[in-house]
Amino acid sequence: MNTFRKFYIENKEKFFGYLLRKTGNYHLSADIMQESFTRYLERYKDREESPALLFTIGRNLLYDHFRKNRGDTSYEDELHGEGTGQEEAYGIKEEYQGVLRAMEKLDDEERDILSLVVSSNLSYREIAKITGNSEGNIKVKIHRSRTKLKTILRQGQS
Amino acid sequence: MKDYLISMFVDNELDIDEKIEFVENVHGNKPFKDEAVEFLVQEKLLQGGMAVSLPHVSIPMVAEEKVGRFQSWFLPLAGFATAMVLMVGVYLSNPSPVVSPIETQHRFVIYSPDVSKVEIVGDFTRWSPVAMEKIGDSGYWTAQLSLSGGEHRYSYLVDDGRQVADPTVLTYEHDDFGGINSIIRVAGSL
Repeated sequence: MNTFRKFYIENKEKFFGYLLRKTGNYHLSADIMQESFTRYLERYKDREESPALLFTIGRNLLYDHFRKNRGDTSYEDELHGEGTGQEEAYGIKEEYQGVLRAMEKLDDEERDILSLVVSSNLSYREIAKITGNSEGNIKVKIHRSRTKLKTILRQGQS
Repeated sequence: MKDYLISMFVDNELDIDEKIEFVENVHGNKPFKDEAVEFLVQEKLLQGGMAVSLPHVSIPMVAEEKVGRFQSWFLPLAGFATAMVLMVGVYLSNPSPVVSPIETQHRFVIYSPDVSKVEIVGDFTRWSPVAMEKIGDSGYWTAQLSLSGGEHRYSYLVDDGRQVADPTVLTYEHDDFGGINSIIRVAGSL
């Protein structure tokens, strides 16, 4: 149990960072984080510690969530809920709100890959596996996502 | 030109041949160098602290915890977790202790008569319980531990594993497992 606690403490911030960068939604990220750690604890606590597994669980839970809610809430509505004021309420720095809004303009795969790279400390090999890419492909996609974000951020400034 | 070498540099993914290629490009190709710097600046922004506070969530402890020394204190904790109300006034932004490398001896004392065992658990024990010593029949228990300078979180585990915050310490926070941790700040000394 203390192993899990240590795992939790070491990964909470990174994992929440991934969920928030990917969704831009603080509440949703908190819910998914709780659910992911709970599942990890229930099912995999006896395994060797695996941040990659945790990120995979969280990613799958997010996709499940969006699939289930497709009927009443559009993916885009729920993501990056601009104008809800929640970013301010949770003290997300103003500068970072701009980053989250820029990430919203990436397509789903780019946002997913970039969120993983920036937040997780996982290797390209692990990220390729999680996202179903080849290792050769992932480095090109990562750089393409960063380049696109750079263009978006620059447009936002002008 | 392999532009993606810049991302691989940012993410520490370059192998030795790619490092050679990257360095040669940085030196011989000014647009490449400028772009590398731009991506590093962007990365700093991307990775920068985004939220002042991490959310507090509740991770339920599983009831079928394996028999072991932790069972005794985590089961009551699970019950406690369900009874906890929403946390207020929590300012935690980073659960890792901010520490300086200088260690000082710190004596922990708790008055807890009529119990057979007291342990201390905290970031400085890597959250593994460390037994405290009973001081005669006084009801006091003590442990002297080596702490680095900075902020530390801990609690006591009494007898059946009941988690008890340090009654002498006013600063505390709820952890995400339904318990309460005391927070102390240890001055680093030279």
